[in-house]
Amino acid sequence: MPATEIAAAEERRRRVRRSALVWSLFAAAFYVGFIILTLVRGTK
Amino acid sequence: MAEVLTHDEHDHKPHGWRRWVYATNHKDIGTMYLVFAGTMFFVGGFAAMLIRLELFRPGLQFFDPQFFNSLTTMHALIMIFGAVMPAWTGLANWMIPMQTGAPDMALPRLNNFSFWILPFAFTLLISSFFVPGGAPAGGWTMYPPLVLQTGASFPMLIFSIHLMGASSILGAINVIVTIVNMRAPGMTLMRMPLFVWTWLITAYLLIAVMPVLAGAVTMLLTDHFFGTTFFTAAGGGDPVMFQHIFWFFGHPEVYILILPAFGIVSEVIPTFSRKPLFGYEAMVYATASIAFLSFIVWAHHMFTVGMPLAAQLFFMLSTMLIAVPTGVKVFNWTTTMWKGSLTFEPPMLFALAFLFLFTIGGFSGLMLAIVPADYQYQDTYFVVAHFHYVLVPGAIFGIMAGVYYWLPKWTGRMYDLKLATWHFWLSTIFVNVLFFPQHFLGLAGMPRRIPDYAVQFTDWNMVSSIGGFGFGLAQLMFPYIIWKCVRGGERVGKKAWEGAHGLEWELTSPPPYHSWTTPPSDAVIARGAEH
Repeated sequence: MPATEIAAAEERRRRVRRSALVWSLFAAAFYVGFIILTLVRGTK
Repeated sequence: MAEVLTHDEHDHKPHGWRRWVYATNHKDIGTMYLVFAGTMFFVGGFAAMLIRLELFRPGLQFFDPQFFNSLTTMHALIMIFGAVMPAWTGLANWMIPMQTGAPDMALPRLNNFSFWILPFAFTLLISSFFVPGGAPAGGWTMYPPLVLQTGASFPMLIFSIHLMGASSILGAINVIVTIVNMRAPGMTLMRMPLFVWTWLITAYLLIAVMPVLAGAVTMLLTDHFFGTTFFTAAGGGDPVMFQHIFWFFGHPEVYILILPAFGIVSEVIPTFSRKPLFGYEAMVYATASIAFLSFIVWAHHMFTVGMPLAAQLFFMLSTMLIAVPTGVKVFNWTTTMWKGSLTFEPPMLFALAFLFLFTIGGFSGLMLAIVPADYQYQDTYFVVAHFHYVLVPGAIFGIMAGVYYWLPKWTGRMYDLKLATWHFWLSTIFVNVLFFPQHFLGLAGMPRRIPDYAVQFTDWNMVSSIGGFGFGLAQLMFPYIIWKCVRGGERVGKKAWEGAHGLEWELTSPPPYHSWTTPPSDAVIARGAEH
């Protein structure tokens, strides 16, 4: 595989990892955050 | 030499059970989603048959009221979360990489995980029929305080909903990451097929609302087991708050179920009209507008709980506003057909039925949006007729149109067109016999979710039940047609349909195990994107 293609594939892999991480954190924060919020409010 | 060739084609795949349990290939996972959705469609359909059997005549015939309520609750949960949503994810898995020029989904292991959560979730949910107190019977909306009376199946319900939600969110993340990062160079956003667009918007909706459902059911759980009183008036809580939270999830959920169908219809109609889609950009913006509006209409599901006049007006008008982008879509589909060279193969037939019958569901939705009228229709069979028109000839017909459209691509074989046309006509006739009389029953005052009814409702209930049995039997044709196609349908080339456009039709039929190992050229993308 030519060097340019390897670099492009590596760059794409980085982008996939980055956006997967961002969206996972966003969804997890929303999901877990909402549940924690309910539990915290429930114990008041 | 033979060995070198085998190595070069990158088509070697695992065999036996490992291929499915450890699957990371988007087509294998897509197939598993579709098989799972089909299975759940028949399980949920069986519950529907039992419901129609009980309602064939007034009086209690076969089931006690508690079990009847379990049937309606489980029918809804299984159909929504087990049949329609996984079917869309299956179609997304199959088609998004092929339509965007990607080799696979961006996160294949996550893809495997999000599928394999589902069989466990539904085993848990369905096995609740066998625990003391029976399956949940408080309706799929799980309103407290009624749902808090559920027996031993209550935690099973809550945990299975968490599992389904987690599966949907993981699937949605995968779809977004794939579409955003894995498109072939030259596949710009405005060149993407409408199915990919509608799924991208659906994925954002899923991430936004599934956590809200998770929070709501967790509050139910703590109310039931840990002494909180979120929804218990005696402890200072408010049961109406649950309805607000639930429908903040529930209304976007309706669009999660229907937006991908809009995408499929937008693929099918141009193909069989042999014309580009009219108003591609307007379709994209209309889809995004519908998704946005879906967040600000939730309280139209609960006008009768009592709310300020200003709130009623706001939710009535915002709901009616949805008719504008939806009207744009219906106009564009119709205009696409205008002066086209139309042919009526099964995918087109299902898309056309979708167009007519979904619009009927949309119109009855507009009627329900009118506050004073809703006071009459609330909790009657009119509502049942409305949402079944949206979900059966809407979402389910959309799925069937998609499967009949792409099945030759997936298998490399054409299915029996005559049988599929029979499947279409029987489904379309019986779905109307099944659901149209329910409008009359609702307007005459028959309440929903009851196993028994006043004798004046008998005739239309009998008609509706006959339609239900006919529709149910007609669906048995669907797996048979697919099985017959896979076993020995006539071979097709790359382009199974003469008027088809799009990257998937540039691949062989069936496509290689890894779709686009080399990204398609700009010329190929441009040819596919002739909107």
